[in-house]
Amino acid sequence: MPSMTHIQHLTIPDEPVALYLHVPFCRSICTYCAFNTYADSDDLYQPYIDALCMELKILGQSRPNTQLKTIFFGGGTPSVLTPQQFEQIFEAINRAFETSLLVETTLESNPNDLSEPYLRDLRAVGFDRISIGVQSANQSELDLYGRRHNFDEAVSSFAAARRAGFDNINLDLIYGAPDQPLSAWETTLTRVLDLNPEHFSLYNLELKGGTDITKRVETGTLPSPDDDLAADMYDLATDMLGQHDYDQYEISNWSKPGRQSEHNLQYWRNLPYLGLGPGAHGFANGIRYTVVRLPKRYIDRLTSPEKQYAYPHTPATAKAVPVDYATDMSETIMMGMRMLHEGINRERFLARFGVDMVDHFSEIIEKHRAYGLLAVDDQRVHLTQQGRFLSNAVIRDFI
Amino acid sequence: MTQSHIRNFSIIAHVDHGKSTLADRLLEQTETVADREMQAQLLDSMDLERERGVTIKASAVRMNYKARDGQTYVINLIDTPGHVDFTYEVSRALQACEGALLVVDASQGVEAQTLTNVYLALEQDLEIIPVVNKIDLPAAQPDEIAQELEDLIGIPAENILRISAKSGIGVSDVLEQVVRDVPPPSGDADGPARALVFDSHYDQYKGVIAYVRVIDGTLSKRDMMRLMATEAKFEPVEIGVFSPIMFPVEKLEAGEVGYVATGLKTIKECRVGDTITLATKGAEKPLPGYEQAKPMVFAGIYPTDNDDYHDLRDALEKLQLNDASLVYEPETSQALNFGFRVGFLGLFHMEIVQERLEREYDLDILATAPSVKYEVVKKDGSRIFIDSPAQLPDENAIDEIREPWMKIQIYTPQTYIGPIMDLVIKKRGEVVTTEYLDATRVIMHYRMPLAELIVDFYDRLKSITQGYASLDYQIDEYQTDDLVKLDVLVNNEPIDALAMIVHRDHAYHKGQKLVTKLKELIPRQMFAVPIQAAVGKRVISRANVKAMRKDVLAKCYGGDITRKKKLLEKQKKGKKRMKMVGSVEVPQEAFMALLSLDDDD
Repeated sequence: MPSMTHIQHLTIPDEPVALYLHVPFCRSICTYCAFNTYADSDDLYQPYIDALCMELKILGQSRPNTQLKTIFFGGGTPSVLTPQQFEQIFEAINRAFETSLLVETTLESNPNDLSEPYLRDLRAVGFDRISIGVQSANQSELDLYGRRHNFDEAVSSFAAARRAGFDNINLDLIYGAPDQPLSAWETTLTRVLDLNPEHFSLYNLELKGGTDITKRVETGTLPSPDDDLAADMYDLATDMLGQHDYDQYEISNWSKPGRQSEHNLQYWRNLPYLGLGPGAHGFANGIRYTVVRLPKRYIDRLTSPEKQYAYPHTPATAKAVPVDYATDMSETIMMGMRMLHEGINRERFLARFGVDMVDHFSEIIEKHRAYGLLAVDDQRVHLTQQGRFLSNAVIRDFI
Repeated sequence: MTQSHIRNFSIIAHVDHGKSTLADRLLEQTETVADREMQAQLLDSMDLERERGVTIKASAVRMNYKARDGQTYVINLIDTPGHVDFTYEVSRALQACEGALLVVDASQGVEAQTLTNVYLALEQDLEIIPVVNKIDLPAAQPDEIAQELEDLIGIPAENILRISAKSGIGVSDVLEQVVRDVPPPSGDADGPARALVFDSHYDQYKGVIAYVRVIDGTLSKRDMMRLMATEAKFEPVEIGVFSPIMFPVEKLEAGEVGYVATGLKTIKECRVGDTITLATKGAEKPLPGYEQAKPMVFAGIYPTDNDDYHDLRDALEKLQLNDASLVYEPETSQALNFGFRVGFLGLFHMEIVQERLEREYDLDILATAPSVKYEVVKKDGSRIFIDSPAQLPDENAIDEIREPWMKIQIYTPQTYIGPIMDLVIKKRGEVVTTEYLDATRVIMHYRMPLAELIVDFYDRLKSITQGYASLDYQIDEYQTDDLVKLDVLVNNEPIDALAMIVHRDHAYHKGQKLVTKLKELIPRQMFAVPIQAAVGKRVISRANVKAMRKDVLAKCYGGDITRKKKLLEKQKKGKKRMKMVGSVEVPQEAFMALLSLDDDD
C-alpha cells in the first residue's frame, strides 16, 4: 500500500459541474430557518439578478466551455422571482456554459407561489424538476414553523405542477418538532404518499442558533424535541416509503427508480459544483469557496468588475481554500457514506487518491463491520440499514 | 552583619486578605525591585499562584530599609503559603522569623486561618504586628476589626495600623513598625552553625536549593555541610541571599536569611524543617519541630491516553523535585489501566498538582475521586493500610475498618450555627464545643472523618453560610466505624476506579445518587449500558443508559460540507477526552461524580 506521505497529488475528476444559484429572498422567514435569506427586500431582486448574471459571465470568461450537468435554484425562496427574471438568468447561463450534457434543472419553491400559469412559464424557461416545501400535513405544525400556506394549498400546488407538465417533483418534509406525536407524522406521510411524487427529502428538525423556534425552546415555552421519538419517526418513514417503492438512496432522501436528485448526487460524490449568489458555497478546480453573504455587498462587488479572475474566483468571492489531499479524502468519505447503496466507489476512490479505501482504513472498517454498521464488497463501502442511524459514529472515525 | 540590624518577619493572613499586595508595596518602597520589573504579586512566582491569587510555596526576599532613625536595616520578608493544606510549611516559615505581620481584611475581619496562623505565630513566640488592610473599600469597618484584633491578641485597637496596600495608604508605617517592634535575631553567633530549612526548590544545575534561616554560627561557602535529619552531606555549590533574585555571597551569619545550593539531586534528602549544620564540628542538636509531611488524601491519576503513561511518570518525577510532600507509586486499574496512586497534603494540593500536570506538562489526565488512608484489621489479626477502596480485602476477611478523624474549627457568625451543625452531623461529625468570641461570632469545634471532609464539605459550608464561615482542621486519630465498600458496575463490569468506602447507613442513599448521576454523565453508546451500585454481592441500585438510537446529520449539501465536517471533528475531539472502560466511553466527570453526591439535598 502506498503511504500517504508519498502521494501529494489531488486528482479531482474533470467532470461536468453542478451549478447552484442561491436566491436569498423570502416573503417571510420560517421559524426554524437559519439560511442566508432576507424578507422585505423586493427592491433588491432586479439588482441581484443583474449581479448574478455578471457572476455567470465572469465564470464563463475565466473558464470557457465548462460543461454543466445540473442547475439548481435554491434559497431562500427562488419562486419569488418572475418567469422574466428567470429568463434573463437562463440567457446568462447559456452564454457562459455548455449545456449539451445538462440532465436536470430544479427550482425550490413555496406552495403559495405555484399557480398553474406560473408553473407553465417555469417549464417554458427550462425547469424540468420542482421541489415543493410542503413540510407537514398538520396545520398546528405549519403554524409552529411559520409557513405561509396550509396543506390544501400545498396539495393544489402539487396538482398544478402536474398539470403544467412537471413529471419530476420533490416534496420537502420536516419531522421531530417539539410536541409532535408519532401519529401526526404518520398522518403527514400517509397524505403526501397519496400525491405520489417522484422524490422525498425528509429533514429532522434541527434547532439552529438564533432561530425563533430555538429561542422558544431555550426559554422553555416549547419543550425540547425528543431524540428517541425522532428516531421512531425516521423508522416509520423508512417503512412507509419503502412499502410505496421509494428507494432510500441517501440518509435523508428517497426516490422512485431513476428519479434521484442528480444535483445532490454531485455533492455526495464530492464532484465539482459552482455556487453563485449571496452566501453560496462552491467547490471547483480543487478550491472550496464561499460568496459574500449580504445581498447588497454581493451586488456592489459585481457592479462593474474590472479585471480578469482565476476560475472559480469572482469579485464576490469571500473566502477560497485549496483542498489538500487529506481533506479531500475525508470529505469524499464523509459525503459518500451518505449514499446508502452507492456508498464510496472503491475504483473511483483508488483513481482519486492512489490507495484502496479498504486497505487504507482496514482497522476502522473492520471495527464498524463488527458493529454491523458498515458493509464492504468489491465495488463499494457503504452503511448498512442499521448504520443509517449512526452514520456520524462511523464517519467520525474516518475524519 | 550584626544581628541588631536584621529583622526577619512573615506576613500571615487568611486567603485574599491582601498579603501578596502588601508584600509588593514593601518591595517597591525599599526599591528592592525597580518599578519596571514589578509584576503584581512578585513573590508568587508560579503562574498558577498568580492566577489563583494564592501562595503555594513559601518564598523569601531581602530588603534594605533606611529607617526614620537614620540607620539602615536588612529586612527579610518570608512569605508563607496561604492554604490550610500547607500548615506545616507555614509553621517552618514562621520559625525562621522573629515577627509576623498579621493582615486582616477591613471588611471580612478575623477568619479561621487568621486564628490558626496567630496560634502558630504565638507557638513560635513571634512578635505579632496586626494590620487592618483594605480600609478604602466601601464595606470596610476598620475600627470594628481593630477591636476584634485587640480582643484576640491584646494590642490596643488605637495602636493597630490601618492601611490599604492596594492604594498605598499607611504602607510607609509598616516597615517602621517592623524595625521598632520585631526583635532582632538573638542566636549564638559564635556557636556551632545551625540553619533552618524553611523551603526549597530544585534547580537542574545547582541541585536542591535550600532556603535557610541561620539561627546560630556561620555558614560559609567552603564548609562541608550536613542535614541533620536525613544525614545527607554536601559541599555547597553556592550560598547567597534573595535580592529577590538569587545573589551569591561568601557566607551567611547568624540571623541572616538566604539560600544554600546543596548540589543534592533529590528533594527527599533536603526536606523542609530540617537543620543544616557543618559536617565537622557541627551542632549536636537539630532545631526543633522537624516533621515529615504526611499525605492525607490519595487519588489515582491516569493518562487519558494509555500511550502517555511514561510522560505522566516523568512529569510526576519532575513535580516531586520541587514538592517533597508529593508521593506516588504505580497503580494498575482494571478500568483505567496503568497510572499512579498519588498522595497529597489535601484537596487543594491535589487540585494544584492536577492543574500543573495538565498545564505545565500538557497532559490529558484523569483523576479518580480522592480517598483517605484506611486501616484494616483483618480477622487473622493482621493490620494493613489502604489508600484506595480497590485495595480493600474481601468483606469476610475484615474484622474492622478504621479511618482518620480530624479536629475541625469553624469560625462563623452565630446565625449559622444551626445549619452548620446539621451539615456536620450529616457528614458523620460530632460536636466538641462551641466557643463565643463575642456577641455575634463563634468558633465551633468538631470532630469529623477526613473522608467526609474531603467530599465537598468546604463548598457546602461556604454555601450554607453565604461564604461567611471559615474552616481549619488538623489530624486527630484513627477510629473504627461500620464502613463498607460500595462497588459500581458499568455494563456488568465492576469499575475499580469508581468504588468508594462509605458508612453502611449511607450506602443505599449514596449508591442511588451515584447511579443516577452516572446515568446522566455517561453518554449514550451504541448499545444499552446497565449501571449498578452494589455492596458485596447485593445490588442496591440500578439504571440503564439507553442505547444511542440516532447519530445522524439530517442534511448535508454543498453549502454545508466544511461546517458539518468541523462539527464532526469537534465531536471527535470531545470523545477523545473520554476513557474507554471496556467498550464503554466514560467521561472524566464520571470519576469525580463521587464528590458531588450531596449536591441537592
